[in-house]
Amino acid sequence: MHIKNGFVLREVCGEQVIMGEGVGALDFGKLLCLNETAAWLWQKASEMGEFTVESLADALCGEYDVDAENAKADVSAIVNEWQKVNVIE
Amino acid sequence: MTLSIPETRFYKVADNVFSVSTYLGHSSDFFAKIMDNYEPFAFDACDCAFSLEVFAGEKVPAYTEEMRQDEEGQRIVCGSTDAGESVFDFSLFEKYVGTLVCSKDYKTSKLFVPNAEYSSYLKFAVNNALMVLYAIATAPCNTVLFHAAVVKRDGKGYMFLGKSGTGKSTHARLWLKYNDGCELLNDDNPVVRFYETENGKGYARVFGSPWSGKTPCYKNDDCKLGGFVLLAQAPYNKIARLHGVQAYAAILPCISGKRWERSVADGLHKTENALAANVPAWYLECLPDEAAAKLCLETIAR
Repeated sequence: MHIKNGFVLREVCGEQVIMGEGVGALDFGKLLCLNETAAWLWQKASEMGEFTVESLADALCGEYDVDAENAKADVSAIVNEWQKVNVIE
Repeated sequence: MTLSIPETRFYKVADNVFSVSTYLGHSSDFFAKIMDNYEPFAFDACDCAFSLEVFAGEKVPAYTEEMRQDEEGQRIVCGSTDAGESVFDFSLFEKYVGTLVCSKDYKTSKLFVPNAEYSSYLKFAVNNALMVLYAIATAPCNTVLFHAAVVKRDGKGYMFLGKSGTGKSTHARLWLKYNDGCELLNDDNPVVRFYETENGKGYARVFGSPWSGKTPCYKNDDCKLGGFVLLAQAPYNKIARLHGVQAYAAILPCISGKRWERSVADGLHKTENALAANVPAWYLECLPDEAAAKLCLETIAR
């Protein structure tokens, strides 16, 4: 999986927000607020280019004090949300 | 082709100066008939934020389309040439009216129009070209070109936002009719500038412009920005304050610019963020009536 072209993470009034700015993402028409973990995962996914739930969960375990099982569950839930709103493919 | 000497004039809109040069011949007619709405903004020759040259009947460079926008019969096709110039192609109800070709930094641009006829199509092309250029070239300078109506009262400007057909102009008219001391500053495309004081704090001013939609309201005037009001039609009148991301979301769709170019998007975002954090924003669900105008004023101009 990867983040679709044209979606960026920006800080809006102290919150982390995904918005569609590029060609093909301009019709997104909404702002997606992320919590701290989700914003961190987005940054990581953006650096990785291609990612999987497993590779993001591994990265999460390396950064935060969380066990593999919980990390995978959290990442899976967040990635599902992103799929639902169509910002990754 | 005959060799013609261009005539150049300068204009200042919201403290940004630009120049327009015409190669169309009969240049005094060009400025009188096509650019009459710019007259209140005439300024002395000086350094410019950007310049535009207008040519008729010349070959338009080939370009690759990146994206298009189609609203109420007004179409803009955007793209770029192999040399990296940005191109904007304008049509009005399927009739091609002109092509804007911009240098990479948007400082120098050319508008190619099909002929030198002083028609409403030429006026449309010139206005569109200058609005596109203005929005993009001033994006790094804490300046944004809005789609909104603005009413001035007691030295403050109140901006009415909303999708086309929501009733921005209607609500502005209701203020003029039922609230004392109101004046229309602009009906469609005002400019807002943010002035930073310290620590991300600051204030905004709203300016009239040569672009005002169907209403000829071209005022070279400005005032402190008192608030944004996002309008929505409803069978009742109700107003609520918007904060943070909600305020940002209200103003974002009303601001023009080439967001798919990162440096432009960065500039716009910086200004939008500062506006959302520093200027009060409201959400007004309303009827097109006197009570709506009164409720709005009483709430936001306290």
